[in-house]
Amino acid sequence: MDAFLLGASEVLSLTTLAMMLAGAIAGIIAAAIPGFTVTMAIVLTLPLTFTMDPLQGISVMLSVYVGGYTGGLISAALLGIPGTPSSVATTFDAFPMARKGEPGRALSLGVWASFFGTIISTIVLIIAAPPLAIFAVRLGPWEYFSLIVFALTIVASLVGNSLQRGLIAALIGLAISTVGADPIMGRPRFDMGWELLAAGLPFLVVLIGIFAISQLASEVEDAEAIKRGERLVDGEIEFKTWAVMREVLMRPVNLVRSSIVGVAIGALPGAGGSIANLVAYDQAKRASKTPEEFGKGTPDGVVASEAGNSATAGGGLIPLISLGIPGSAVDAILMASLMVHGISVGPRLIMDNADLVYGMFLAMAVSSLMMLVVCVLSMRAFLRVAEVPKWVVVPVVLVCCVVGSFALNNRVTDLYLLAAVGLLGYALKALEYPLAPLVLGVILGPIAETNLRRALMTEPDWTLFVTRPVSLVFLIAAVLSVAWAIRGILKSRNEARTGKDPI
Amino acid sequence: MSQDVPRTPSQEAGEIARLLSYVALLAVSAGLFLEARAMPTSRFEVLGAGAFPMLVHGCLSLLLVASIIASLRKIPVGAYAAFASATAQWVREKRLVVFLFVCLAVYVTSMPVIGYPVATLLFLLVLQITLAPKTRMAIATALILSLVFSFGLNWLFAEVFNVFLPRGR
Repeated sequence: MDAFLLGASEVLSLTTLAMMLAGAIAGIIAAAIPGFTVTMAIVLTLPLTFTMDPLQGISVMLSVYVGGYTGGLISAALLGIPGTPSSVATTFDAFPMARKGEPGRALSLGVWASFFGTIISTIVLIIAAPPLAIFAVRLGPWEYFSLIVFALTIVASLVGNSLQRGLIAALIGLAISTVGADPIMGRPRFDMGWELLAAGLPFLVVLIGIFAISQLASEVEDAEAIKRGERLVDGEIEFKTWAVMREVLMRPVNLVRSSIVGVAIGALPGAGGSIANLVAYDQAKRASKTPEEFGKGTPDGVVASEAGNSATAGGGLIPLISLGIPGSAVDAILMASLMVHGISVGPRLIMDNADLVYGMFLAMAVSSLMMLVVCVLSMRAFLRVAEVPKWVVVPVVLVCCVVGSFALNNRVTDLYLLAAVGLLGYALKALEYPLAPLVLGVILGPIAETNLRRALMTEPDWTLFVTRPVSLVFLIAAVLSVAWAIRGILKSRNEARTGKDPI
Repeated sequence: MSQDVPRTPSQEAGEIARLLSYVALLAVSAGLFLEARAMPTSRFEVLGAGAFPMLVHGCLSLLLVASIIASLRKIPVGAYAAFASATAQWVREKRLVVFLFVCLAVYVTSMPVIGYPVATLLFLLVLQITLAPKTRMAIATALILSLVFSFGLNWLFAEVFNVFLPRGR
């Protein structure tokens, strides 16, 4: 109890709260700009925390982290461009909702879902950190590969109108992920002797090109409308804070399920918000009584995707606090910041620095509250983006995409890739290929390949994938998932046949 | 699926365009499959560097062959004759998209030569003035935004974040 009070007194001091507020604002703004990720925002914050106390520094970084997971929602909802990789699924329903004239409701739903997602993940973090962490690190490459096979079945939920083109898009994504040095031996593959392909296609450049450039190009398709000064979104600029809070709370099952998915995926080293966002969305769609409404602006889609990605913030801290293993790049930077202050991270962290750990738990909750306050107070200003004419937004956001892509690796060649991938993305979109499965393939490809090869290097026995219990559970879940998707497709075909218009 | 059968000339042209995309993707995928097959395996592992790409490109090629067959069955014979004119019409309708990609290509290729601030200023000015309604207010807004996001952003990145955008030769 003393340790908790000591941690609380430091987190709740006026100076720390003021710094955390600044951190939350910075995280929201950084993640709202396409191309700038939560990781980049945290990296830029790290040097600023060197002069602070350890808990104060980590609290500020956590506020940037929590703010960043929410900030990606803003461009996802208003522009249809995921601000960060962890808000890809948010575009599926938040953007159509905004386009239907409810941009305020879309943002508000996302903000509230993020808030509750973070709070639920903090509660899980406090209760289940040690057992979950021990479970997560016992998973071997067999389990990881089977988990990725299960995650790949999400494609069935993302295919849109055509299963065939959805599968082709997912395989194109997997193929893109094989370009560059192979992940085990470092052997060059498919680089055609070009230096810009030797290191592989950077995931974020592919994401920005596929989603942002193609979306921005689509915005200028109607030459007459853009010349009239057409806006991005026409509709009610109303945040409806309390009504939407009730709307989110009226979906307790979706909220809790998506948050648990986020925590579980966040706790797995190597996975992260981008996968949690898609898996939570997929699970919500599968559990819904009206799955056909997903992708058209349903509140359930926004709640699931945002609760899912925000809950990974707490999930990622589970292996970090319990075992000293960072689950993602952001967690690695948080760990580095503790080590800079001479604090060794590992199983003894909670015993040697209990005040710090309790302080981190509290800082997570306070950060989410700050994010909520900042969003509620400033969302009106963000919503003004929707009132800006397209002829302003399109060129300016294109420049932001170019700057964001360059700043990732300081490589001009990434800009050539961006333009080429953008053109490919627009062509695929025009030909009615769904783009989300492609991005899923790019995310999951390297993880699948690494774990498949690692598993067979450890023990060249294929049967281990089905004889190891956890691996078998994931594979059974994958088979059930595919069976469920096929059932859904057959059902909708039958309905289309029986309800066919006689004319 | 029945709803996939093209019914109008534009849908037919769209299906032909998709067919061409399947053929192009198949050519690339088959080529990469053969390249992956030629990759040497390692003595340290069962699967080599080429195994996973072979799996991916093998599945992709099979799927594309099936898509090509399905597409050929769907497209009426007479539709091919109208494809060129439908494509030309589509390009005319999407002229601003074509212009945007040309501007983007010139922008990213010129940036290493003339530097971020000048390249961005020109890119924003040209694109905004082309897209904007022709009013004095719009031109003035375009000019101010171009200056802010070219020289202003360059200054912000250099002075605040210590990230140096391309300076040019």
